[in-house]
Amino acid sequence: MAPLKVGDKFPNDVQFEWAPITDPDPTACGMPQSYDASKEFQGKKVVLVSVPGAFTPGCQAYHVPPYLKNIDKLTEKGVDLVVVIGFNDAWVMSAWGKVNGVKGDSKVQFMSDTKSFFSKHHGWDAGMGDRNGRWAMIIEKDGTVSYAENEKSPREVTVSGADAILSRL
Amino acid sequence: MAPLKVGDKFPEGIDFEWAPVTDSDPTACGIPQVYHASQEFANKKVVLVSVPGAFTPGCQAFHIPPYLANLDKLTAKGVDQVVVIASNDSWVMNAWAKVNGVKGEQKVAFMSDTKSFFSKNHGWDAGMGDRNGRWAMIVEKDGKVSYAENEASPREVKVSGAEAILSRL
Repeated sequence: MAPLKVGDKFPNDVQFEWAPITDPDPTACGMPQSYDASKEFQGKKVVLVSVPGAFTPGCQAYHVPPYLKNIDKLTEKGVDLVVVIGFNDAWVMSAWGKVNGVKGDSKVQFMSDTKSFFSKHHGWDAGMGDRNGRWAMIIEKDGTVSYAENEKSPREVTVSGADAILSRL
Repeated sequence: MAPLKVGDKFPEGIDFEWAPVTDSDPTACGIPQVYHASQEFANKKVVLVSVPGAFTPGCQAFHIPPYLANLDKLTAKGVDQVVVIASNDSWVMNAWAKVNGVKGEQKVAFMSDTKSFFSKNHGWDAGMGDRNGRWAMIVEKDGKVSYAENEASPREVKVSGAEAILSRL
């Protein structure tokens, strides 16, 4: 399957897995559950950000923090939800969220793209070791993809970063 | 291959992967590197603990904290090093260690059993989803395995727990 491109509709069978954050302690485990992304995204403007791994240098240092810092700006521009996905399991993604200060009611949520399924079928993988690639998409309220860009190298954060997304909203 | 049992020699050529903890901030990434376990364990008394996953309920709630709380007792009984392994990558294991308050110079290290290789070939896997099983081994200074026990269910912490290990040292 090919990566989604501008004008495509977000597929209707996309599932992620997540352990919703219910308390800030990263040593308190969340309960993993399925997240029906196709359903949940309906009627919302969503920024979907894919990263090669939780707690890894590229993501942690440059990719995720700007999204967290700019959540108000993103919200002002109409974004309802930012979902960060990685291949790591739901427990790890949840802990990574907590360590980044994300709370249960935050508009940024961290989820598992189990076995990089969505990334492989509808996005891009990292080209190394069964990991998600580093890319971002904007999905409009009607399900249309209005932005879908993959980094030339997973070590860079340019077209998939918060700045690029903000300038496109 | 069969799980190691009492009297066996710890195999040659065993590698794990880890990102040594160099600072306490879980958002600061360590640098993953190879850990030549067979070499590093030589002439040390090592407790090797395998868990199904970082940040998961069983491990976090019941398995890891007693090892950390009893490090002095373990050391007093001649243990040189406790190594905790799981199938998660080194970045995740590094972050999990930090979140548990593990510092660089402690006698406990969290490492990646990449693709559950050691667990599958010389230990036990979880029987579910490509994860390490929950087990523990004591490897003596001369490389002989003096204890190797797998939990009847990965949800329990009995024969692989700190108490069981302490009573066998």
